[in-house]
Amino acid sequence: MAANFWTSSHYKQLVEQDKIDVVHPIDKERGLTLEEFKLIKIHMTNHIWKLAQHVKVRQRVIATAVTYFRRVYTRKSLTEYDPRLVTTTCLYLASKAEESTVQARLLVFYIKKICTDEKYRCEIKDILEMEMKLLEALDYYLVVFHPYRPLLQGLVNDTYKMDLILIHPPYMIALACIYIASVLKDKETTAWFEELRVDMNVVKNIAIEILDFYDFYRVESFKGMAESFKGISDEKINAALHKLTPKP
Amino acid sequence: MGDGRAVAGGGGGGGSNRPAWLQQYDLVGKIGEGTYGLVFLAKTKLRKSCIAIKKFKQSKDGDGVSPTAIREIMLLREISQENVVKLVNVHINHADMSLYLAFDYADHDLYEIIRYHREKLNQPINQYTVKSLLWQLLNGLNYLHSNWIIHRDLKPSNILVMGEGEEQGVVKIADFGLARIYQAPLKPLSDNGVVVTIWYRAPELLLGGKHYTSAVDMWAVGCIFAELLTLKPLFQGAEVKGTPNPFQADQLDKIFKVLGNPNPEKWPTLSYLPHYQSDQHHIQTVKYESSCLHSYVHLALKSPAYDLLSKMLEYFRIDPLPGRNALVPIQPGEKIINYPARPVDTSTDFEGTTSIQPPQPVSAAVAIPGSVAASSVVPPRAVPRPISMIGMQRMPPASMAAFNIASQAGIGGLNPGGIPIQRGAAAQGHPQQLRRKDPGMGMQNTGYPQQKRRF
Repeated sequence: MAANFWTSSHYKQLVEQDKIDVVHPIDKERGLTLEEFKLIKIHMTNHIWKLAQHVKVRQRVIATAVTYFRRVYTRKSLTEYDPRLVTTTCLYLASKAEESTVQARLLVFYIKKICTDEKYRCEIKDILEMEMKLLEALDYYLVVFHPYRPLLQGLVNDTYKMDLILIHPPYMIALACIYIASVLKDKETTAWFEELRVDMNVVKNIAIEILDFYDFYRVESFKGMAESFKGISDEKINAALHKLTPKP
Repeated sequence: MGDGRAVAGGGGGGGSNRPAWLQQYDLVGKIGEGTYGLVFLAKTKLRKSCIAIKKFKQSKDGDGVSPTAIREIMLLREISQENVVKLVNVHINHADMSLYLAFDYADHDLYEIIRYHREKLNQPINQYTVKSLLWQLLNGLNYLHSNWIIHRDLKPSNILVMGEGEEQGVVKIADFGLARIYQAPLKPLSDNGVVVTIWYRAPELLLGGKHYTSAVDMWAVGCIFAELLTLKPLFQGAEVKGTPNPFQADQLDKIFKVLGNPNPEKWPTLSYLPHYQSDQHHIQTVKYESSCLHSYVHLALKSPAYDLLSKMLEYFRIDPLPGRNALVPIQPGEKIINYPARPVDTSTDFEGTTSIQPPQPVSAAVAIPGSVAASSVVPPRAVPRPISMIGMQRMPPASMAAFNIASQAGIGGLNPGGIPIQRGAAAQGHPQQLRRKDPGMGMQNTGYPQQKRRF
């Protein structure tokens, strides 16, 4: 497992894109579109990143947290599982799984500090209750592989704003990142890629997906920061999240 | 609901928020108790198979699911190997925030088997059995290590042996509460504090080594191997209680007495270990010149068994072990030993509450072929398994080849000196007092020294 991706639960759980781009029926009922679903996921990914920077955890913990977060919403609805609490709890659970435990009270403290929106706030007890629910939602599979070992880059970080980690093996995502970098820097890598004997069509498809993503959300650079997402306005996010709030 | 009696073990009331998953089990009783929970024996209603259910108590200090439980779930959910305990299910009771891990139940463990031979039979374990047990233990450990998992709490009570049934005689490594993946760790392994129960703790750990490797598990296997041969713990040091991680002078003395004092010649990284530098009078004063391990375990110096054991107990040991060290076959015995079954406290229900009815005596000594004859060690299967006579001879190239890459053992560093969190009821009997409650599900046991954990 830890040494062999091919026998891991991560590998066994990889799914097709069309299984992921499905708005949960409950959310659909509330009028949430696929576009909004994706927006919320990007926004919440950024939220995890922001929060993680305050509690100071390593990159891999953040990546694991985001993977948990995205996995949860392939099964559960945003309506029933408030993404604001889920993100926080994913970071909490990932920190334990990666042997870098962050205390729940620290997370509660920093959320109060960095989030002006009261809906993000939670109590320790909320996190602990959600932790159990998440374990269940994740079907107790906690080991996640990442494309970082070959490549530690902003580009890789940005791939977590998509669902690529749920679809492709990490090494393919890493290769797609290398491919983009080599094309941008005008480096000749054809021979190098040929030697790898990987399916270049898949690598190129992932690369195109990443570039499309940048294009679509008008990301200005590979900063991997929330601020760089010019295409995502707060209004859009809030409108999407608002749809999920139960109506009186 | 309707079957509240069976499920709750006659506990009666309080069934209002009993989770639905409980319905699939018939509770037999409590078989163990530890600092982080209780262990129950249950039978699945559907297939009547025996399941050990480890219940993790709700954490008191607002820290949610305990890191111990997270480690067990996370690792055991990924791995599957016949010599590693099988996690069959995880259950959550949201009402009281408790977590239950359901494992395939094993009737025996090495602690009980050793004790039975020492106290009841007054005779050593047949060498063939020892070899089979050891081989299976190494087979499981090889799987773990090649998957970058370090166990960090190997001891006889954590090595289970399956009783009557399909897998009779099969060894299962259990209790992954201290185990972790050591490939590319984000935080140093030493951040987890003291690891391995004192009698089985490798010398590099006792000397305050911060950067240790999977070779610490190999040391523990060496200690277990010797214990299987002599029926008593090899290095039975008196534990110094206290925090953080006090210097265990007596434990080291017990080791030195058998193996001789270490020196930088035998152990190149020795001088970097914190306690080697700070406690010079203990370690650098050579009291014991050379190893007398062979006479302790009654093995001939030139025997393959001694060769293997001494490699496991090398101060500067490498994991995997150098190849071709498997034991040569020993004539199998013919006697079948009926090891007693685990005692079950049938008066305790899943909530841990004890009913008034007195504990019933367990169906006495289920006859279990205790593995002496080759055919009874090996589960009755069509496919020949490596623990059979023939398999043993062929074993070295295949299974031991993996024990060939060197890794460094015990490179010293500074002692982090954090504060270990002593788990709740960790105060138990003195190590020398050999009575225990622990059924071998890796829970606390009176008598044996207990691992303190911090996270």
